Amino acid sequence: MKDVMGIIYTGERDDRLRELTITRAIAALPVAGRFRIIDFLMSSMVNSGMRNVGVIMQKNYHSLMDHLGSGKEWDLHGKNDGLYILPPFLTRENVGLYSGMLDALRSNSSYLRRSRQEYVILTNSHIIYNYKFDDMIAAHIDNGADITMLYTKDPSMQKSEANTYLAVDEEGRVTDMEIEPTNPSNENTFMEVYLMKRELLRTMVDQGVAHGLHDLTRDVIQRLVADKSMKVCGFEFKDKAWQIDSVQSYYRFNMDLLKADTLRSLFSEDRPVYTKVRDEMPARYEGKSEVVNSLIADGSIIEGRVENSILFRSVRIAPDAVVKNCIIMQDAEIQSGAQIENCILDKQAVIKRNARLIGPAAYPIVVAKNVVI
Amino acid sequence: MLRKKTCVAMLLAGGQGSRLGVLTQNMAKPAIPYGGKYRIIDFPLSNCSNSGIDVVGVLTQYQPLELNAYIGSGSPWDLDLSNGGVFVLPPYVKGKIGEWYRGTANAIYQNIAFIEQYNPDYVLILSGDHIYKMNYNAMLRYHIEKNADATIAVLEVPWEEASRFGIMNTDEENTIVEFEEKPKAPKSNKASMGVYIFSWQKLREYLVGDEADKKSSNDFGKNIIPKMLADKQKLVAYAFDGYWKDVGTIESLWEANMDLLKRPMPIDLYDHKWRIYARNPGFPPHYVAAGAIVEDSLITEGCEVFGTVKHSVLFAGVTVEQGAEIIDSVVMPGAVIGRGALVRRAIIAETAVIKAGAKIGGEEGNIAVVGQGAVIPSGIVVEAGQQVDAAAAEKLK
Repeated sequence: MKDVMGIIYTGERDDRLRELTITRAIAALPVAGRFRIIDFLMSSMVNSGMRNVGVIMQKNYHSLMDHLGSGKEWDLHGKNDGLYILPPFLTRENVGLYSGMLDALRSNSSYLRRSRQEYVILTNSHIIYNYKFDDMIAAHIDNGADITMLYTKDPSMQKSEANTYLAVDEEGRVTDMEIEPTNPSNENTFMEVYLMKRELLRTMVDQGVAHGLHDLTRDVIQRLVADKSMKVCGFEFKDKAWQIDSVQSYYRFNMDLLKADTLRSLFSEDRPVYTKVRDEMPARYEGKSEVVNSLIADGSIIEGRVENSILFRSVRIAPDAVVKNCIIMQDAEIQSGAQIENCILDKQAVIKRNARLIGPAAYPIVVAKNVVI
Repeated sequence: MLRKKTCVAMLLAGGQGSRLGVLTQNMAKPAIPYGGKYRIIDFPLSNCSNSGIDVVGVLTQYQPLELNAYIGSGSPWDLDLSNGGVFVLPPYVKGKIGEWYRGTANAIYQNIAFIEQYNPDYVLILSGDHIYKMNYNAMLRYHIEKNADATIAVLEVPWEEASRFGIMNTDEENTIVEFEEKPKAPKSNKASMGVYIFSWQKLREYLVGDEADKKSSNDFGKNIIPKMLADKQKLVAYAFDGYWKDVGTIESLWEANMDLLKRPMPIDLYDHKWRIYARNPGFPPHYVAAGAIVEDSLITEGCEVFGTVKHSVLFAGVTVEQGAEIIDSVVMPGAVIGRGALVRRAIIAETAVIKAGAKIGGEEGNIAVVGQGAVIPSGIVVEAGQQVDAAAAEKLK
């Protein structure tokens, strides 16, 4: 049990995820055959001994709420602490739509006030990793830091234009921050994870809002780094992480899991990833099924050919259907003789008999939820 | 004061299951894995949950640790309730007397106080030995409609097998006129499924009477049912015609798993209206590598397949290394089948390791079994019908 609470902000931009985020927040995006992005964050927090996790919702949050439920799957359904779902609400001061994380935190200031933990970890929801925050917390205390920011040197994390880069000196202190630069001057990509005392965050939210500020990183933290009024430290994250901010990055993350080593390291036994359970029976291979280099979730029935693909729960691949380099979400169906390549099929999509759908490798076709082709 | 329940279920889970050999060495029979992601007890518990019966007492006695941990708070079956839920009931000391459960009826007798907390009208008696999907609520309605003292679920078995079962001889009203345990010349093929509903006050009376009878072996089949029949109580048969399989032996457990590979499946586990719930270990989907061959099999989350799997059932977290071959077999959670090993017509228990090149089982003959945690060294041959537990595996070199 740690004296640290977690707050996950799920209101980030999602326009580059096209149809995938029409009906859901990025945090609720189905990934890796049976999970949603938020499962990795929630499980990382729980596996780090955190018992109080708040999830700030912004838009399209129905599927996210449905997924999280009472927090039971993460053992966050206790009497003290547990999971707090924080949807936007209207009051006289509050229009329901947050103008940034600072604003979102202000709306939920009573949750911050009532929580009892000394520290808080504050994150966005579009970066996937499976991590124990223990070392970061220990370093924060050892360094006597006011704020610790998690960063990575992983080159694959430098692809997004919306990144923040941190200049960090030998003592681990953040000396400069560049927000969304075209040509960053260093390789330390900020992972959108802050650690600080809960009281400090409360003060920053209160002061920030009092001065008409909205954006925590740009308006508050960057100024603190510039005027050196607080000790802001960086802590290097050395595991593997994936930023999901476009269809391409979504596709790449899922395909990366087809490497057995990557799969094993993301789902290591001491850090299980919890998710809502569907109680499907195991996947069934029938007749002339042929499966090569693929991940297959429970409840699926495979009679055709599947290659380099990820099948979510209860997907049906009929005889003589061919699926290559695809991500196929829950309850989708590929009928006999159909052929699909480089596609992402959202839930309940159906590819009818003998249909062909072949996307370019660099730009996978997205078939939206419930669409029949 | 607990709120009244119409019907309370009591699940007899204390049997040793000795015919399952090394599989039940460290584990009660209801905890035995089945069907890729279930354990036997998931079936009666899910049936209760789906039937709206929300008080379930699980009577344990033999090797209960794994079973207790598995049941936990009952949340996988939605049986973690404020008023009701699932309760593990081991024998306990009452006053100066403390004793084991001496028989199925005695086990219920020792828990009369548990049942009476809920002041039920009916008690459902179940066992943890069978694979089936059944609506107990429909059976309860039948029991009430027939105004019966006891209702026994029966299944019509093939006549040539009838002499292996407890057979109910009934009249045209389905009233049971005679009960014969394993009759040599059966007069009926209606076999008892080990599922009983009793009107509680009546059962209570018979349990107390049975306990006073020093000669009784305190068993439902041997004592309570015959005594009620002799006393002309109203016992009726409730016909069930779905899939029902006793998995009390190595061969029948293997067969029941192989049944799931038939097309169509004789028991529909895809049925979303009657899901079978299980505790979920939280693994990623299973991975099938390039070069792997998988045919006619059931595979679940957390498995990694680099070799060949044909007509087999793989449980969570099983690894099949390159060149390994698994045919007509059941491989339980966490087992590892090493490079080039051959597993044929076998049951490999939880976390067992078959090292490279070992051979388990044969093309015909009885099912070979490798026990929980056993490590079979490289190149060793385990013959068809042979059972090797962890201690015996140590000596193989």
